[in-house]
Amino acid sequence: MKFCFSTEVVDLDNQAPNRNKRESKYFWDELNHLIAAGGFTSIEVPYEPKWDFGGRSGIPRTKRSLAVKFGTVSSYVTYLKENGITDGIACFHLNPGLFASSGILPMFLGAAGHFAEEMIETAAEAGCGIVTLSVTPTYYAAQKLIGEGSEEEFLDAVAGMISGLAAKAEEKGVVLCLKNEFWSLLRGEKIISFLEKVPASVKLDADTANLRIAGVSPEKFIRENADRIGVVHFTDTAFEDKDEAWKSVLPEFPPSIATKVFRDMGDGTVDFEAVLKEIKASCPDVTVVINPRNSYDISRSILRSRWFCDHINA
Amino acid sequence: MENNIRLSHMSHWKTVPYKQIDNFRDFYYEDKSNNCYFMDWDRILRYHKATGYDGIELAPWDLSEILGLFGTPAEYTAFAKDHGIEISGMFHGCDDSHIAAKHDEVVAAGKQAVDTLAAFGGKHLNTCPGNNFYGNGPLDDEGLKNIASCLDEIGEYAEANGIQVGIHNEFFCVTNKLNHRKLIELTNPKYVHYCLDTAQVALMGDDLIDFYDTYKERICTFHFKDTADSEGVADEIRYAQDVEICDDGHRWFWEPGEGTLPMEELWKHIRDYGFKGWMTVEDDGAPDYLAAMALSTYYIRQVLGKIYR
Repeated sequence: MKFCFSTEVVDLDNQAPNRNKRESKYFWDELNHLIAAGGFTSIEVPYEPKWDFGGRSGIPRTKRSLAVKFGTVSSYVTYLKENGITDGIACFHLNPGLFASSGILPMFLGAAGHFAEEMIETAAEAGCGIVTLSVTPTYYAAQKLIGEGSEEEFLDAVAGMISGLAAKAEEKGVVLCLKNEFWSLLRGEKIISFLEKVPASVKLDADTANLRIAGVSPEKFIRENADRIGVVHFTDTAFEDKDEAWKSVLPEFPPSIATKVFRDMGDGTVDFEAVLKEIKASCPDVTVVINPRNSYDISRSILRSRWFCDHINA
Repeated sequence: MENNIRLSHMSHWKTVPYKQIDNFRDFYYEDKSNNCYFMDWDRILRYHKATGYDGIELAPWDLSEILGLFGTPAEYTAFAKDHGIEISGMFHGCDDSHIAAKHDEVVAAGKQAVDTLAAFGGKHLNTCPGNNFYGNGPLDDEGLKNIASCLDEIGEYAEANGIQVGIHNEFFCVTNKLNHRKLIELTNPKYVHYCLDTAQVALMGDDLIDFYDTYKERICTFHFKDTADSEGVADEIRYAQDVEICDDGHRWFWEPGEGTLPMEELWKHIRDYGFKGWMTVEDDGAPDYLAAMALSTYYIRQVLGKIYR
């Protein structure tokens, strides 16, 4: 089992004090040193073309941004290794929700498929063996894409796209995993039956907080699907979705009660000792991505994660 | 006495994820930091009013979340009105307008933006005329005429719907130092106005005071901000790729009074002409928008206000 640290710790989407610095390259240069100082030697990169559209290439999250600032993907990996991230990139994650805003299904599938394929190629060039794809956008966004069609037709279309990506991933020697956030149409255990629609090479991304909020025990999920687990995300939460926030426009921000859904490691109620015990028993070689998603205080989250990893390993 | 200049603030806040936070104290105690102070529209709009603004200019990239939270433009506008805030305008970008084959598509998108702004009750559609210079410039006369043609058509539709289209030229835009005045001349003054972004014009290397004097009759509103690079930026920087955000964190833009633009001199010219209307303070790149908003209104009302208000 290898621990890796997710740069999804940096919230670019939502308002926060001093957010402006997060668009400049110097911020990301220093972030590598902070992550390395926290004892992590590999990172996860959220693949977010959103920032390319505004020319924010200082944010190293896509093939384009890496090309603008570093020339090539492999040059970026060399730079990472020279700056403390000695094991490079362990995982990429694409959330295609960005492409759902049009509400037009063919546009969504076209853009999601295009950028997912680009992510796979980028991962291969970076020497990264895992990519994970959020399997559907939020329930709210998906309803607009479904329109007068049915959910089944929508999921069949998504499965068709994923099957194409699976072939690409196999060709490039990359493992394609599916992430099912608590706001997904395939939240919790709903994703299991969906796996029958896609090739066996497609694996699961077991994300602890997302499973927990969707009412599923992460350790049970890992135990029952051990042969399909391709990556595990350690995310923490204390959130109980009593008012169906998962159906709202911004489910990470429950409309009925403001709260931080994703917490720093150890600040929530996920039983990580039980999860870790299950991983050691069921899939001991899996990569575990530590993800204090959208942190309020990035340096603190890195150090809290290190404390957590040291403690949980003890 | 009512001011001649009504202050609005360009909404550069990133996604504001809540409409209103009712459990504010409990939310604060989760982290005991100031993050929760910037996460709901209720408080953001309160800050606008408290720091002397009567308006907000919307960013089109926020509309999906705004409409998700509020349902309709009218509901957002009513919520803002309850806080004493009007929608002064919205930003819009005419990407690909220099390409003749894209004319209909660009005009359709522009008309849609007019309709959206009208639904919010706004007046000014402040419009970037084209793409970035990098990858698209320099333009030939045909390209410039294509842009003007798009702007004229969108502008005519806008006027018929009570909206004013104002050209808003970025310093890294395909219309730039050598041809941005020519673009203005190519457009129909009946339909196409100008939104004077004080910093952008200076960064292009144009003379801010001369520009104002030349085009004051076409200037319908402002993006009012300062720069510490008021002598202009070298061509090789303006024409390079992805120059808006600097690698080292250098800021192109500062709050009015914190840079080096001749703001007091400009203000005298604004007074002499007798400009009346919306002026949008734009503080993109500021680390703390609340502080930037307060700094800006202090300067405009207490320093420049002695000249004209």
